[in-house]
Amino acid sequence: MKTPTWRAPQRLAAVALTFVLVGCTANRYEAPVSSFRDKTQQTINVLSSFYSSRNSYEVDLYLQGVAADSSLPLQTTDAYGSPTPLGKPVFSPASIKARLDALNLIGVYANRLYDLVNTTAPSKFQSATTALGNNLSSLDKSFQNLQGATDPTASKYIGPISSLVGAIGEMFLDRKRDELITKAVRDGAPQVDLILSQVRDDMERIFSLEIITGSNEKLATLIASYNADRAKLNYEQRMARLSLIRSSANEVAASVGGAPIALVTSMMDAHKALVQEATAPAKAKATSRSALNGALDQWTNQIQTLSTEIKTLIH
Amino acid sequence: MIKVDTTTLSNVINQCFAYSSDGRLSADEQTAMLADGKRLRGLLLNLLSAQFDDSTQAVIDANKQLTAVNTALANSATALANAAQTLNAVSTLVGNLDKLLNVASGFI
Repeated sequence: MKTPTWRAPQRLAAVALTFVLVGCTANRYEAPVSSFRDKTQQTINVLSSFYSSRNSYEVDLYLQGVAADSSLPLQTTDAYGSPTPLGKPVFSPASIKARLDALNLIGVYANRLYDLVNTTAPSKFQSATTALGNNLSSLDKSFQNLQGATDPTASKYIGPISSLVGAIGEMFLDRKRDELITKAVRDGAPQVDLILSQVRDDMERIFSLEIITGSNEKLATLIASYNADRAKLNYEQRMARLSLIRSSANEVAASVGGAPIALVTSMMDAHKALVQEATAPAKAKATSRSALNGALDQWTNQIQTLSTEIKTLIH
Repeated sequence: MIKVDTTTLSNVINQCFAYSSDGRLSADEQTAMLADGKRLRGLLLNLLSAQFDDSTQAVIDANKQLTAVNTALANSATALANAAQTLNAVSTLVGNLDKLLNVASGFI
């Protein structure tokens, strides 16, 4: 019996197929983890801008109120003895910075997962402190300093942050890539979930109320100012004022949409799907991969829409 | 630890701002609504992170008052028909919330 022989094109095709299959096996996490890392960074950038702008938002609101009412003097302390946003930041800068660092820590977690997926030599990674720097590796201590009288919600960040720093440190062990990713996700995910839950709670209980009432105050002030001055304004001046009022009304609409909360929720959903994919038994991988891709797509769509809404809330 | 019901307080504030441009109120009443809304918002920003020892009676009373004022403002027909009374209730709320800041045990 004659042994079948392959011609050159068939051999080439077979070799190419082998490479593709090997590549897919070795790097089945590459696409979703890369996407997860990129979206995490985009989300963190948007949320960081939102957090960072809280005090300047309050200063702008205060100045706009003063500008709209000529009877109001500019003050650092008001007639009731309370500091104005010019006299003292409404939100403690140390508390804001600690929350920005908590988000950055999640960014490091996503970056480390990406590195694990793409490196051929995981053992080259060094200690968590070296990778994170002193700032993030001691972030739990920052929150410890804030807890109690100065920041009642700080204590909720301490446990998950210190565990996540530990989990990131464990990502430097020399193991097979898949094992390493599964372990990294299993060890880090609960802490990432807790930190994101706390970020979402902060958004719901503090910043959402701040933004909704702030945008309503701005709109009400502009309307009152227009009504008080309208008889003295010419057509162009009235149009300019009304244009500001229209922008302010758009800001009110954006504020009630809960965009920052929705963005954090999308991130949590995608992260949950990533955990399910990384920890699913082999026979369930197809389902979990499909769910992960769906969550990543959903997140991608939301980032675009929500970041536009959030930008209207940033001053 | 207990907290002031800041969600209801936010609703009260937003209703004050809405009434501040409601043509069914006089110009002075609208101005008063805007001033009270601003004052309440200043208090809100402090109360968002304020914590109080359990069973602080002033907080329990303030939360009941918040619910009552919020309900009264939501009924626009009655609130507008009794505008002076409505404004008086809001002003009393402002005063009581202001006093609460002195007994809070922690802020953000």
